[in-house]
Amino acid sequence: MRAQLDTEFEQCSSQLRAYILRITASVQDTENIVQETYLKAVSNIETFKSQSTLKTWIFAIASNLAKDNLRAQKRWTENVTDICKAKALADPDYFPEVLHIQATSPQGLFEIKEHITFCLTCISKSLPLEQQICIFLKEIYDFKVNEITKILNISEAMVKYYLHTARAKMIDIFDKRCALINKEGVCHQCSELNGVFNPKQNFEIEKNKIEMARIAEKGDKQHLLDLRLQIVREIDPFQSAGSDLQIHHLEHNRKVMENIFVKSEE
Amino acid sequence: MLMATSTFSMAQNGKAITVKKTFSRETSVSIDIKADAAIVWTLLTNAADFPRWNSTILSIEGDIKQGEKIKLKSTLDPKRAFKLIVKEFEPEIKLSWGDGKGTRTYTISKNGKETVTFSMTEKIGGLMFPMYAKYIPPFDKSFEQFAADLKKEAETIYNAKN
Repeated sequence: MRAQLDTEFEQCSSQLRAYILRITASVQDTENIVQETYLKAVSNIETFKSQSTLKTWIFAIASNLAKDNLRAQKRWTENVTDICKAKALADPDYFPEVLHIQATSPQGLFEIKEHITFCLTCISKSLPLEQQICIFLKEIYDFKVNEITKILNISEAMVKYYLHTARAKMIDIFDKRCALINKEGVCHQCSELNGVFNPKQNFEIEKNKIEMARIAEKGDKQHLLDLRLQIVREIDPFQSAGSDLQIHHLEHNRKVMENIFVKSEE
Repeated sequence: MLMATSTFSMAQNGKAITVKKTFSRETSVSIDIKADAAIVWTLLTNAADFPRWNSTILSIEGDIKQGEKIKLKSTLDPKRAFKLIVKEFEPEIKLSWGDGKGTRTYTISKNGKETVTFSMTEKIGGLMFPMYAKYIPPFDKSFEQFAADLKKEAETIYNAKN
């Protein structure tokens, strides 16, 4: 069984790392949680009863650790990208840093699709934690509702409720904010950053390569969210062509939000 | 005993009924919902989520739990925040909240494997009721909308893909 565990852990560790990063927004916490998940799995492997798959069991351990993580518990606001953009613009070191990453890192490319995944991670942190976990498990990591009930130890009704409300809230937030799918949307960060990192590109041409943006006027909102989640499914935030850049954005946003929490508690 | 003679047993299929008496007024609605009781209960007890699915509620602040105080704003009287206390809280069975003038009660009855009957009744009254009765708007349409919204939302969640 130990050998099976090691094999399964190796096979799902990329997904697990991405999942935890998207919940905590912290590379350090992600590494700690993934490591602790492995240690717990090894020490408790004899309690594994085969009532679920090993992968489900591993994700259950990791999800419980993530739920205990303070950074995961802190919830952000829907306008997180506005707040963090203002902080970045006010910080004279921010753009030199990111341009340095772009110039020197082999994973420093700016791609709109990667920024869409970064953005979804940020927005998902404005949902209640259980909703965020449910929508990730179901829509990004392909777990079934009955598997999520085992991972989170909650009823099928609650999983369905969390999924439904998470989707409804995300649709509403992106519809109000995302200029890729709504001309009235207030957030143009994709095009703005693409202009900074890829000044020779024509944003409209690049935008039209993305199905979600291309069909936005015709597509129903549920379908647009599915297309957005499909983009997220296809991108590993640690392995992608622009992962260093997007992780830098994510850690920046986390630190900005943490400073806000500290100030509000003072 | 109250139930046997009240509007509670008469209101069915999403149509509200109001019975007016000298010192009280009681409005009820009842509707069958194809969903399990847990989903209906979850929708009725998540305060902050109400305005998303329920077009008759503008906001509910507080925790819907036994003995807790909540602040409710409804479309019936948008400028007024009703300060209420959760009086009964039996998971997946019965919930009630109210103030000194009235009580609203929600019940969920299981009808077999896949359907529940949701009922809602509000009784307002007291010795002073005749003096302020004319200032209280009718509840019927709002009750029917509440029941219809709950049915739609609960069935959508219940029918979601597994």
